[in-house]
Amino acid sequence: MADGADTSFLDAQVLARLMAQPLLTRFPMEGTVSGHHKSPHRGSSVEFAEYRNYVPGDDIRRLDWRVLARTDRFYLKEFEAETNLRCYFVLDCSASMGFAGKSGTKLDLARRLIATLAYLIVHQGDAAGLLCVGTKTVFDIPPRRNPSHLQTIFKTLKKAAPHGETGLIPALHELAEKVRRRALVLIFSDFFCEAGALLNCFQHLRFQKHDLAVFQLLDRMELDFQFERPVRFVDLESAFSLVTEPAVIRQEYLRQLHAFLSKLRAGCHEFNAEYRQAVTDQDYEKILAGFLVERARHARS
Amino acid sequence: MSFLQPLVLWGLPLVLLPVIIHLINRLRHRSQSWAAMQFLISATQNSISQARLRQLLVLLFRVLAVLMLILFLSRPLAGGWLGWVLAPAPDVIVVLLDRSASMEARLPGTTVTRREQALKLISQAAHEFEETSHLVLLENALRAPQEVAGASSLASLSLTTATDTAADLPAMLQSALNWLIENRAGTAEIWIASDLQRSNWKPEEARWKSVVAQLSALPQTVRVRLLAVNQEPEANAAVSVQEVTRRQNGSQAALQFVLDFQRNVSASDLMPLTVNLDGASAQLELAMDGQAMRWRHKTDLGSQRAGGWGSFELPADANPRDNSAFFVFGPETPLRARVVSRDAQSGRFLELASATPGNGPRQPAERVTPAEVQKAHWEESTLLVWQESMPTGAVAEQIRNFVEEGGVAVFFPPAQPEAQRFHGLGWGEVQTAASADKAFRVLRWDEDQGPLAKTDEGLSLPLAQVVFLRRQAITGQKSVLAAFEDGAPFLVRQTLGRGEIFFCAGLPHQDWSSLGDGPVLVPMLQRLLQAGSRRLQQVSSVACGEMSATDQRRRWASVDAASPKDFRFQAGVYRSGERMVAVNRPALEDEPEVMELGATERLFGNLPFQMLLETRNRTGQLQGEIWRFFLSAMLIFLVVEAMLILPQRQPQPSRVPGRPLPSANGTGVPEAVP
Repeated sequence: MADGADTSFLDAQVLARLMAQPLLTRFPMEGTVSGHHKSPHRGSSVEFAEYRNYVPGDDIRRLDWRVLARTDRFYLKEFEAETNLRCYFVLDCSASMGFAGKSGTKLDLARRLIATLAYLIVHQGDAAGLLCVGTKTVFDIPPRRNPSHLQTIFKTLKKAAPHGETGLIPALHELAEKVRRRALVLIFSDFFCEAGALLNCFQHLRFQKHDLAVFQLLDRMELDFQFERPVRFVDLESAFSLVTEPAVIRQEYLRQLHAFLSKLRAGCHEFNAEYRQAVTDQDYEKILAGFLVERARHARS
Repeated sequence: MSFLQPLVLWGLPLVLLPVIIHLINRLRHRSQSWAAMQFLISATQNSISQARLRQLLVLLFRVLAVLMLILFLSRPLAGGWLGWVLAPAPDVIVVLLDRSASMEARLPGTTVTRREQALKLISQAAHEFEETSHLVLLENALRAPQEVAGASSLASLSLTTATDTAADLPAMLQSALNWLIENRAGTAEIWIASDLQRSNWKPEEARWKSVVAQLSALPQTVRVRLLAVNQEPEANAAVSVQEVTRRQNGSQAALQFVLDFQRNVSASDLMPLTVNLDGASAQLELAMDGQAMRWRHKTDLGSQRAGGWGSFELPADANPRDNSAFFVFGPETPLRARVVSRDAQSGRFLELASATPGNGPRQPAERVTPAEVQKAHWEESTLLVWQESMPTGAVAEQIRNFVEEGGVAVFFPPAQPEAQRFHGLGWGEVQTAASADKAFRVLRWDEDQGPLAKTDEGLSLPLAQVVFLRRQAITGQKSVLAAFEDGAPFLVRQTLGRGEIFFCAGLPHQDWSSLGDGPVLVPMLQRLLQAGSRRLQQVSSVACGEMSATDQRRRWASVDAASPKDFRFQAGVYRSGERMVAVNRPALEDEPEVMELGATERLFGNLPFQMLLETRNRTGQLQGEIWRFFLSAMLIFLVVEAMLILPQRQPQPSRVPGRPLPSANGTGVPEAVP
């Protein structure tokens, strides 16, 4: 653990348990140094991949001379490259993330998830960066492998506060354009914005061959909508308010919410993005354990 | 429209309570910061119209339920708003007023009688129709319809005052029907005010079907409304005289009474009773156990030979009309018996047993032959003892006339079977006991009344000790007063006109029985001799309102009261010339049985019928059945409101995401399902 860092988001026992399971990517990554993750490039390495015929232009230094001497044929021996991972955490810092139910805010849950994952990533030798997005990008910390980089991330998480409308969609498009090399992108948000535009962002990121995982953070109150008496609902991201009888509109509200969630889930499925729903009253360790185990299972297969 | 609790109507603004609560509830909303506004706005827009309609309906039904509750608590009169006014005003309203003696019972806790209360309520209800309808009064005593000028004058009419008569509801209804037909009335309503006393309504009589069918067949609409003032009165007792007999014993005379007492509470206590006899009063106390009692009483007249009158009176109670019973008794009457017997020994016993009581030595009864019966003078005879072949022809007719006038005829066995019958009774086979040890015995007989009743001292006649070696069977329809142990009748009775016919199965003959010893035969024949004395007396007791047409033409003056009374309506003792008569309320008026409401309604068949149950309250006004309507309406509104606010089909609750499901696209990308 990085000395001097704000570790209030971390739990040493949870970290100890989760470190047994490395965070793996579902697709080849392009790193700068060798690591645990598959690379799209072939080259000299310890992991034999295949033989292939020599074609003009290939580097003759990679010819397998022994085979040439024995058979007079030109073969190249290829090895799988293994590289490190660059991970971008995207945190939605719009005011809606400050919604506080009985189990704290959604932002609190996001901080714990990001801090824990960042710690795991850096300690397995990969690079972690953080992008905090409010109305516009608030903080942009590029990925680093240095353990002392964690302190920067934790401080930034500490400073991140819910405010204003969400600018998540332009920020994601910008991120897709900015990050040229394949990376793991983890987005933490409630995604309370227009579903079509949001799915375009996911498609854009996937088009850039990033491994995309989205964590939708919700509160139990938002899912159940259990209110007895008339309530004035005040929008967290604007001054708009609405007095209504929850018992009257509950059915329609839940229908709309479930339709949105279904659309989001189906879009993620379509663009091969991993979708995770996290509710504030859930144990964050279980959320992360499920995420890590599933990725490991996928890597093995 | 009028209400029993009009003050409750001040609560009418409370119908706005649900609206106010709704508005306050909306104002008392709490604020909640919310992130998922996009779904909230969309849901509100989509469900606002339907929800608003449902909310308005809920509010409407709540308001209506409160309104119904207030109207229910204010107890609207059945005769007002819905009951009477909603129906079109009839051309004629015929009021059938039951002013029988039982209608004089006071309502519990008040000094108002059933009749007064009924009149008050009828007047109130009829007042609304004064402008549009004719009002016709038909009461039970005269049953003569009379048009009434105004509803307010109903209570002051002499035809609505208290009487000691009984009511005959089917006859009253028939009179109303006749009036409607004769006067060619238009739409009519028949308002009946009665206490539903069963003896007055006579539900078992076929007249009901006839009169209801005729009313239904009328071309105009006839509606029946019944005001039932049948609240059980407070403690009430009634007395009636069943029998008054003058007994002459030497120079001393005595009156023997049989009185019936009835009351509506069952208790064991002493009841004070005042006996008035020719102006002198005496107070008695009699122990009464239960609700009904038959009491025998004897009063010495001393050497008084003339007739007189008197009364029995109970202390004041809930119904003063049934506390008095009047009687009159005639002067000493010489009693004669005639004996017709074919057997010398039996005839002698019968002559002696039916000897005329008097001051001097007893004179045996006059013995005549069957042939002499027709020629004999019957002016002073009260008893005929017949031990001969069954009379036929003119003789039988003579005997029949004798009995119809009030005389008593006793038939003893002719000792041979006969096919001939007299008034349905005849003789069968002569039966002989197998031995003296197996002689016939009489073990049960009527000891309350009749010739075998107990003595004045309360002792039973020794009939069980009488040995019957022979008997002759009695055939025909009869009322058995005494029977042998095997069920065969010993003494039977048949009424004929004012008199009675008795058949006795045994003979006072040594070959037949030990009846000739006297302890049974003598009192039996002496009592029958007395019973036949009514033949020599004119009718001395009559039920109020049932005096014969002949007697009604005479001028009658009240004897028991200083103020004049009308013998047609009032009980008492009346004199016309030398003749006195006791007028008492009919015995049926003391019967406590009341009609069931359902049975009463069924009597009117398909006629439009409405029943109003009078219940006493502080304002003394009418409580109809209409409150049930408001109570039912309130319950219906509450049920509908509850159905509207019931939560509709619940959507599936959110599922806590668990282990992600494997992806279906084969890429191995997991998905978590919410």
